[in-house]
Amino acid sequence: MTRVLVPLAVLEGQTVSPGLIDLLGTVDVTILGYHVLPEQTPPDQARLQYEERATAALEDVAAEFRATGGAADHRLVFTHDREQTRQRIAREVDADAFAVTGATGSVERLLVAVTGQVAVDRIVPFVATLVGDRPIDVTLFAAVAEGGETDARGKLADAADRLREAGVAVETDLATGGPFEALVDAAAGHDAVVLGERAPSLRSFVFGDESERVAGETVGPVLVVRRGDDETDEPDTESGSG
Amino acid sequence: MYSARDTGVVSTDTPGTNIEGEAPVVEETVETDEATITDDSELERTLGLSGGLAIGIGTMIGAGIFVFPGLAAGQAGPAAAGSFAIGMVVALLVALPTSELATAMPKSGGGYYFISRGLGTLAGTVVGLSLWFGLVFATAFYLVGFGYYAVDTLAEVGITIGEAFVVPIALVFGVGFVVLNVTGTENAAKLQNGVVALLLSILLVFLTYGGLDALGVVGQPSTPETFMPFGPVPVLQTAALVFTSYLGFAQVATVAGEMKQPGRNLPLAMVSSVVIVGVMYVATVFVATSAFGSGRLAELGETAMVDVGRHYLGAYGALAIVFGGLLATMSSANASVLSTSRAIYAVSRDALLPSIASRINLRYGTPHVALGLAGGPILLLTATGQVEVLAEVASFLHLVLYGLMCVALVALRRDEPEWYDPAFRVPGYPVVPILGALASFALMALMKPISQVVGVAIMLVSAGWYFYYARDVKLRGAL
Repeated sequence: MTRVLVPLAVLEGQTVSPGLIDLLGTVDVTILGYHVLPEQTPPDQARLQYEERATAALEDVAAEFRATGGAADHRLVFTHDREQTRQRIAREVDADAFAVTGATGSVERLLVAVTGQVAVDRIVPFVATLVGDRPIDVTLFAAVAEGGETDARGKLADAADRLREAGVAVETDLATGGPFEALVDAAAGHDAVVLGERAPSLRSFVFGDESERVAGETVGPVLVVRRGDDETDEPDTESGSG
Repeated sequence: MYSARDTGVVSTDTPGTNIEGEAPVVEETVETDEATITDDSELERTLGLSGGLAIGIGTMIGAGIFVFPGLAAGQAGPAAAGSFAIGMVVALLVALPTSELATAMPKSGGGYYFISRGLGTLAGTVVGLSLWFGLVFATAFYLVGFGYYAVDTLAEVGITIGEAFVVPIALVFGVGFVVLNVTGTENAAKLQNGVVALLLSILLVFLTYGGLDALGVVGQPSTPETFMPFGPVPVLQTAALVFTSYLGFAQVATVAGEMKQPGRNLPLAMVSSVVIVGVMYVATVFVATSAFGSGRLAELGETAMVDVGRHYLGAYGALAIVFGGLLATMSSANASVLSTSRAIYAVSRDALLPSIASRINLRYGTPHVALGLAGGPILLLTATGQVEVLAEVASFLHLVLYGLMCVALVALRRDEPEWYDPAFRVPGYPVVPILGALASFALMALMKPISQVVGVAIMLVSAGWYFYYARDVKLRGAL
């Protein structure tokens, strides 16, 4: 079963928009309630004070998700490092994608970006399951540098065919230019964005995570399809000694 | 060895309540390499080995190099290096048992937690509250040291304000650290890593050059003086004084609950920080006594190292040392403020202090009550400006903890409870923990009477608090 992880800063009042809850109605959802603490505060100390309140909020959110059809459970984590927590939980629940919440109404148009080295083989089936038989129009998008159009067009058409076979209404959109800027431009007129997860890079280190930046620029929710577990897992060289 | 990912631990009997009817918060948890899992939530482990080393080294490295060489050389002559070496051996004898306990109980609270679970509530209360005050004394000591270095730094750049300003500067920065810890949500730990790395590089350059010089490889060989001009007893007494420079390895255990792969990282962080710091201390004292001779060093006092830096590397050497001293005392003070608030949290969670002490404020997410309980006494003590007494009382109270941790280890091992499953076991049991306990108590006996009186008084007050407030609380074996 396809599963999406929805990280939520639950104690800071972050909520999931109704549009995103609807959109995720076709998949199972794990809500990751997290609370990031400064280094001065032991996570256990925060747990004592906030656990009940956070759990109650998470139960409510999970109930909303269940009302739309999919199965929903929740985890609550107190942490100093949000990214580490998100990666760990995604791995443990074997999530196919994680969500960056954003504001949206009902989702009618979905932008799916397959720019660069992302796992199209994982993105296509995910989108097919997500859309299901609902009337959601998908725009497959890629940005390329000048000169690479032919290859990219082939790749887009290929992915579009596979989605059509699954019964999804697809258009394609090929842009040239900076991948991030082109994506933000293309996202206009769409209610939500699906991306492939990239390896952390210098760029993401300096400017922040791509998915967060996209969500910030486009206001709407972003779904990030995870890389395969064999790629995300850090080589386990450290354990077993000691 | 640490292969079991699920070392489940089960709570046994009901813990009693304190005078206000609060019971210790004891819950069944599952510890993995990545998180602590309780019934409804998880606590992420986010500190790696480098973070643990930064806490250990960052807490320790300030005092031994930047405050003590002058004082120690005055008491013990060139054999002060031996005093530091003795301190390192004692620290190692305690660090090994602490490592075992920490891997068996990777929870925040560190030494207090081990003793309350291994030896019961009375010992736990005495140690928990003494540790609070021990850290308070240590922090005040670091702050006064910082004050001396601040005045000297200003003097190096041409602004002479005199020693009258040492305590006011220490106080201002003390307030600053507490406020920063309450309001700061930035990654203090990452900053600490950077400060420690920078400091270690400065020291390495300085010690390498000074060491080569002292051995006569570069420059003129220095004239050797009598190694123990005052005999062996002052060497041991000095070891007791300078042991303050080793307080810190056990602070690693206070963040045991946040350490990734605790079975591997906790012992490594504790033992290597003691060894790294100890070697640097011995080298520093050797270099310092080679530069000036112990009599002159003693006259130079708390900031003797600045003149040692000048002796070897001129004005730049002096500047590097004052800058290093500022960094070091700052990182020690900051790390200790953090540990103090964790120590207070640990006893408050166990209902040995009112639960209000572990409140977190909503705005910053920081434990402001505990930080206040740390900061207030720190400032009072800083105002006294008594470097040696502050240092010794801090050592005294920590040594109680260290000695009792060794005792707790032996007690646990003699009758191993079902839950006791450390990933790391002390080599040379039972010799190492017994020697660790004896050495800790022996160092306490060697201290100045005033430090012993203050230390014992604090322990008695803690014991009194137990009988008044928390007599019915049962913590032994309550996990």
